This record gives sequence, C-alpha cells and structure tokens, in this order.
Amino acid sequence: MISRLDQMAPRGIRGWGARAAARALIAALAFALPLRPAGAAADEPEVAASVDRDELALDETLTLSLVVTTSSRGDAGELQPPALRDFDVVSRSTSEQVSFAFGSNAPNFRRTAVTTLQLTPHRAGALVIEPARLAYHGQTYSTAQIAVRVLPAGRAAKGRAKPPPSDPYAAAPGSDRDPSPRGFEDPDPPRVGSRDLMLRGTVDNPRPFAGQQVTYSLWLLARVNVSGIDKLQLPRMDGFWAEEIESPQQLVGEARVVDGVPVQAYLLRRRALFPLRPGKLPIDAAQVDVLTGMGLLFARSSVHRAAQPLELDVQPLPSPRPPGFDDGNVGQWSLSASVDPPRVSAGQPVTFRLVLSGRGNLHDVQMPALPQLSSVRAYDATVSDKPSLEDGRAGGTRTVEQLLVPERMGDLELPSLALPVFDPTAREYKTLRTPALHVAVGAAGPSGEASLEGGAAASGQNLLASGGFRPIRLRLARVDISTPPWTSAWFWSVLLGAPLALGLVASGRRALSLLARDPEQRRVRGARGLARKRLREAESLLGREGPAGAGFHAAVAHALSGYLSDGQGLSPAGLTRDELAAALSTRGHRKAVVDALFGLLDECDRARFAPGARERKSQQALLQRADALLVALDRGRKGAA
Amino acid sequence: MIALVLASALAAAAPAQAGTDPVFAEANAAFLGGDYGRATALYQALLAEGAASPELETNLAAALQRQGKRGRAALHLERALHLDPTDEDARIDLAELRKGNVDRLEGEADASSGEALLRVLGPLPGRAAAVALAALWTLAWVAVGLRRWAPFALGKVPLGSIAAALFSGSALTALVALGSAAGARMALRRAVVVAPSAAAREGPDARSGSPFEVHEGTVVRIDDRQSGFARVRLANGLSGWVDQGAIEPVVPPSWGGLPP
Repeated sequence: MISRLDQMAPRGIRGWGARAAARALIAALAFALPLRPAGAAADEPEVAASVDRDELALDETLTLSLVVTTSSRGDAGELQPPALRDFDVVSRSTSEQVSFAFGSNAPNFRRTAVTTLQLTPHRAGALVIEPARLAYHGQTYSTAQIAVRVLPAGRAAKGRAKPPPSDPYAAAPGSDRDPSPRGFEDPDPPRVGSRDLMLRGTVDNPRPFAGQQVTYSLWLLARVNVSGIDKLQLPRMDGFWAEEIESPQQLVGEARVVDGVPVQAYLLRRRALFPLRPGKLPIDAAQVDVLTGMGLLFARSSVHRAAQPLELDVQPLPSPRPPGFDDGNVGQWSLSASVDPPRVSAGQPVTFRLVLSGRGNLHDVQMPALPQLSSVRAYDATVSDKPSLEDGRAGGTRTVEQLLVPERMGDLELPSLALPVFDPTAREYKTLRTPALHVAVGAAGPSGEASLEGGAAASGQNLLASGGFRPIRLRLARVDISTPPWTSAWFWSVLLGAPLALGLVASGRRALSLLARDPEQRRVRGARGLARKRLREAESLLGREGPAGAGFHAAVAHALSGYLSDGQGLSPAGLTRDELAAALSTRGHRKAVVDALFGLLDECDRARFAPGARERKSQQALLQRADALLVALDRGRKGAA
Repeated sequence: MIALVLASALAAAAPAQAGTDPVFAEANAAFLGGDYGRATALYQALLAEGAASPELETNLAAALQRQGKRGRAALHLERALHLDPTDEDARIDLAELRKGNVDRLEGEADASSGEALLRVLGPLPGRAAAVALAALWTLAWVAVGLRRWAPFALGKVPLGSIAAALFSGSALTALVALGSAAGARMALRRAVVVAPSAAAREGPDARSGSPFEVHEGTVVRIDDRQSGFARVRLANGLSGWVDQGAIEPVVPPSWGGLPP
C-alpha cells in the first residue's frame, strides 16, 4: 500500500505547510500501528540515478532523477548531487513519499525522496554525469556514472526517451506545481542556462518579392525572471528599407509553448522590412544583454544572448513588366487626382493634386508626373508623405501638389496619369489610372472672377512667360576681333607725337631766331647780365680781402665801366666826365642817374688809391647802389631804344 | 568737327555687315532638324576658320545645351557677350542656363562687384573711343600750334576755345578707352568650368587636399597658373587650384586672350 503524503512539495516557503502536515500524519500512523524493529536489510539506504534518455541534441533537455530510499525512522541522509560540469541545471524539484508494508510481524516504513534535475548540455560529444553521493549514518553511498551522448544543435537524437523512473508525482498538465522553484531560499540557485533565456528573430515571410513587406520580430523567450533589458543591438538591415512597427518601452510577457516548453515571450522589436533587390538577403543576429533576477533584493545578473541569423530568399518581380513600371512601385496602392478650382481666369493658378495611398513602401514609390502642357506655366511640384501603420503593415499617403497657371482661355485638359504597380498579394501587375481633368479657363473680370462667356474667341488673355531659351539666329554677323588700338604702337605714337611735334617746332623756331640775331645787339643785351656777374665776383672778393680790400672797389668800377662799354657803347676810359655825361644824356639817361654813376665811380677810385679801413656795411650798400644803378641805366637804354 | 571725328571713329569700329554663310545655314538647318551633334560640329568648324560672331556663339551654345553640355554652352554664351555685351538673347539664355547650375555661391551678391563692374565696362566703345582720342588729341595740339604761331591764319577763328574743347573731348574719350581697357583686362582672366565637376585643391598638385568642388557652368577668375593647374577665384571669394583642363577662358588666345 502506498500512500501519497507529500506531493512534490517545492523547497520553498510554500512547501513548509505541506511538509509539516505530512510529518504529522506519519507520526500518527507510527503511534497507531504496532512497531516492529526493522531488520538490518531494511535499514540499508538505496540511492539510484537515472536519465530519461542517453542521447540528445545540444538544444534539448535531459531529465536526471535521483531516487533515495531510506528507512522512515531516523534522518533521511544527505544527498550530494553530481558535479554536472558539462551541464546547466535548468530546473530542480524534489518529491518525497513514505510507504509502509506489513512484513512478517511488523510494518516496514520506507521513505523515498526523488530529486529531479532538468539539464541542458554545454557542448556536443560524449558527456558523463558524475555519481551522486548519499551520506547516511556515517557511510557514503554512490550512484553509478551515467554516459550521455550529445549531438550538435538541431540534430534529432536517435535515442528514445526513457520514462521518468521514479517520480510518479511529476506535474501533470494543468498542475499548479511550480516547475522551477528557484531563487527564493536556495543559497546557490542554478545559473541561467541557454535554454532558459533565448533570443529569437522571426520573419513572417521568408520568400517575399522584392519590395514586398516582411515583418521582422525579435522575441526574448525566458523561463527565468527577466527584470529588464540592459542593451539591445539590432542587426544591420543591409539590402532593406526598414520601418519601425513596434518598439515596446516595457517588457510585457505572454505565455507561449516553444518546443514543448512553456516560456514567457517578450517582444523586443518589430520592424517592417522591404527588400530592395532580389536574391539571398541575410539578416544578422541581434544581440541583447538581459537583466535576470528579481531586482535589488535578490540575485540579479546580466546575461548576453544572440538571436539566430536569418536569410530571406527574395524573389524577383515577375516578367514581363509593364511599360513605365518602377521597381519601387510594389504594394496595394490606389491613385486619385483632383484639380482645384475647376474654373479659373487666365493667369490665375490652379492646384493639381495627385494622391497615392495604400500599403507598401511609401518612400520608394515613384509617382507619375504631368507632361509639359502648352499654354500652361507649371511650377515645381511639392511632395508630402504621411506614413501609416495598420495591422502591422506599413503604408501611407503621398500627396503631390503642383501649381499650374493657365495662360490661354478655353478648356484646359489635364491628361490621365497611369501608374503601373505590382501587387505581391495578388502576384500580378496592375495599372492605376486617374481620369482626365478639365479646367475652364476664362478671361479675368474686373473683380478677378473668371468670365467664360465668349470662350477663347473673346478678348483672350495670353500670358507669356519671360523665361526659356531664345531661338537660334539665322544671320551671321562677324565681329572684328583685332587687338584694341591701345595695344598698338601707332596709337601711342600719335598720342606722344602731337605734343612732341609742337615742341620740336617751337624749339626750331627759337634756334632760328637765335641764329638770326646781330652779335652787337646780343652783346648789348648781355651787358647787364655780365655786369651783375662782375658785381657777384666783387662780393666774393669782399669776403676774402676784408674791409680794406682794394680789389673789391676795382671790381665794382670794372662792372660799371664794362656795362657802359657793352650796354651803352661808351668807353669811360677814353672820355672826359663831361663828354661821358653828354653821351649818357643823349641816350636818355636822367641827370640824377648820371651823377650817381659818377659819384659811385669816384668813390671806387678813392678807395682804390687811398685804401683805409671801411665798414662792411657801407661796402654792401655800395654793391646795392651799383646794382640799382645798372637797373636804372638799362631801363634808360631800353626807353631810348 | 568733334562730332565728325567721333562719327568716323565709331564707323571704323562698327562690326562687319551681317550676311549669310552656307556653313552657318547648314548648321542652322541641322539644329532645326534636331541633329544637334551635326549642328555643333558645323558651328565649331566655322569657329576653327576664325569666325567671330555673337550669333555663331549663341547658336553653338543652344546646340550644346540641347545635348546637355551645360558648361560649354555657358562658355559660348559668355563669349557671345564678350563679342557683343549688348546681346540680349545671349544674356537671357545665360541667365536661363545658370538656373540649372549646381554651384550656388553663398555671398555672391556681396562679392560680385567685379562682375557688376564688368557689366558696366564691357559695353563701353573702347575701340571707337581710342580712335577718337588719337584724333582729338592731335587736333588739339594743332590748334595750340596755330594759336601760338599763326593766330590769324584762319581769320578770326577762336583757336584757343577750339583747343580747349578738343582737349576736353580727348579727356572724355581717354576715360572711355581706359574703362574699356580695364574691362578687357578683367575679361581676359574670366573662365568657365566646362568639366561636369572639378576638385578645387589647396595647391597645384593632384595630391593636395580638396576643400570643395566646382561644377560646370560656374564662372571663375584665373589668378595664376602653374603645373597644369589654375588658381581660380569664385565670385564669392572662394579660391582653389583646379585642373586647367576643367576650365576654358572666355577670351580664347585667338581673340587675344591669355596663352594656355
């Protein structure tokens, strides 16, 4: 008879109540039943270790069961689990049961403790689970060593799983048993294994068309407590146009079952990717540093995880492509056009609006444009994008607005526009078309209102733009490109030649007049200058000889007599004073001048023949008087002439 | 008499009479037929013969512009304006062409006094003014001589006043000729970027650093030449060394421009 007394009580705070109740029940049974001394064999403990499989893949888990059976009386011994150097302990649980059987004359109580460890291998190859040891009443009991073969990740193991040997109370589906009782009171909690925390990147469509949206999601799968994300490094999206769809700021987990294991799945990032070219496009591994544990009060550590790299097989767009198709025009799009206002006067602007909306890569779409319209001045179009996300699908609205100015009255037709697109869902090309639009252009009324009466035949306005290139000219006019005159020698010759020629003429005339002049006349004209020169020589003698110099007075007398001889044609040496006075008077000189001349000559004679000390001042005055006399005599000569 | 001298000088400097040329007509026909390559070849053949004409330059520019050679089109429009600064067609075409220039010169308006001065000096009738200057100057000195030595040779003609008027006219024509000569000197240093783009370097060496690029159609001023590079200055003052092959002077050597 087996009674279940303690059903998988976890080694946690919650287990204390159940454990106490089981012990009370065991104690009651022990008192109620007559006791039989246990035999020696009954006291021998039994310890056994077993695994659920002997071959597994690197990304699978292995269940190790350690079963210890001892007598219910006395202590249960101390079980020392294997070292497990090649494994991570993913979870750990214990269960305990007490059984009794009626033997020959007494009931035999046995206690069975089952410790279950979920293990994930560190590496592939032949691994060994070391023996577990049980210390019981001073003796040590060991289990056998277990060999396990580990295959590389992703390889299905051939070894069949063994049923768990001795844990009949393992959690059934729907059980409320905590499968991972870790962290709270265990002083040495099992470290986080690779299977406890995984980063997974997923795409919703591994074989999209070029330009078709693929949704890339990055999930963190955890079987441990996750308190936060320390660092998230997203892969480079080379070859894609990427749009952010979801970027959660807080970790919100949702329960999921991955490979048969229940986990909490946290969405870290979701992006819309648009492949830009066909072919194999890889998505590198994302990496994340995860904070595990329960915050400040409990063990908290940072664990690094990398997602698996992905590769998309991007299909080229089907051929043949419609004319005018652009590779960026992929998606579910609709096109519309409008013009506002529909009636306008010539010279007034209208706004042509082209709107594309739907799902796809809005940034890569190429819009059709209006052709050049005659009699319409078109300004540069403005483009505005309004991206949107709907059910995780990127899309939006692109609006192209263009200002048009009709320059001629009448009906202005804006032609239909076509936009070929590829719909990846329907896997076919479609051509979106807008209807032709019409604008009624009239003449401007007094108030600026358009007037359509009379149509184009009325006094039509015809506004012509001033821009644009001019037509070519049909007549050729050659231009003389000879060097400018100022770079030629003749120009400067002429400029310098005129004044030079005039100067030469003037000099020649001067020379001729000099050559034609009478020597006697030239001597008379030069008499005064010669006399002054002699006076200057006399002055120089005055400085050299001193106040009593006779040479000074001789030089002054020589200057005066020389002047009379050259300038007046008189020789003072050969004439008496009276004759000289008469001759000077005849030449028109006044008597005062003649008297002054004689006085000066007499003074010089006295000084020459009766030298004595004289003041320098008086000699200077003599010179001045002589010079003034020369001026008076010359003036008198000119007056007589 | 002064007016007579000026009129004769202007007549001496006037362009030759317009006419038709069979090659020019054939080039125009090719242009109008859309064969811009052939039109370009024929226009260039006329240029190689030594023809200098604003019409030829503007038509060649139009053909080049249709072929997308914007830099060379701008060059020939500049040459048309050099030959005839009053050519409105060339001026408007050049303004239209410059709208598509890659280079937008920041601060160009502040630093474009050189261009503005050239626009003023370019149209001055320098040749006519120089001829008139030579004539007026000579006559003025003749009047001075007559007044000095034969004041009554021409009866009671006021030779002094005539000489003063002739000297005044000489001064006026000298100013015009000086302005025109200054404009011509400035024009000699102008060039247009004809390569799609050219790196402006810090020195006349292909290994020098390149702080900026210039693109076709941009007008530059040549300040120096060395080792196959030309030191150019933009209208906004920016300066650098560019490969000489990337630019073409507005005034070619055959028109009296600087030797290459």
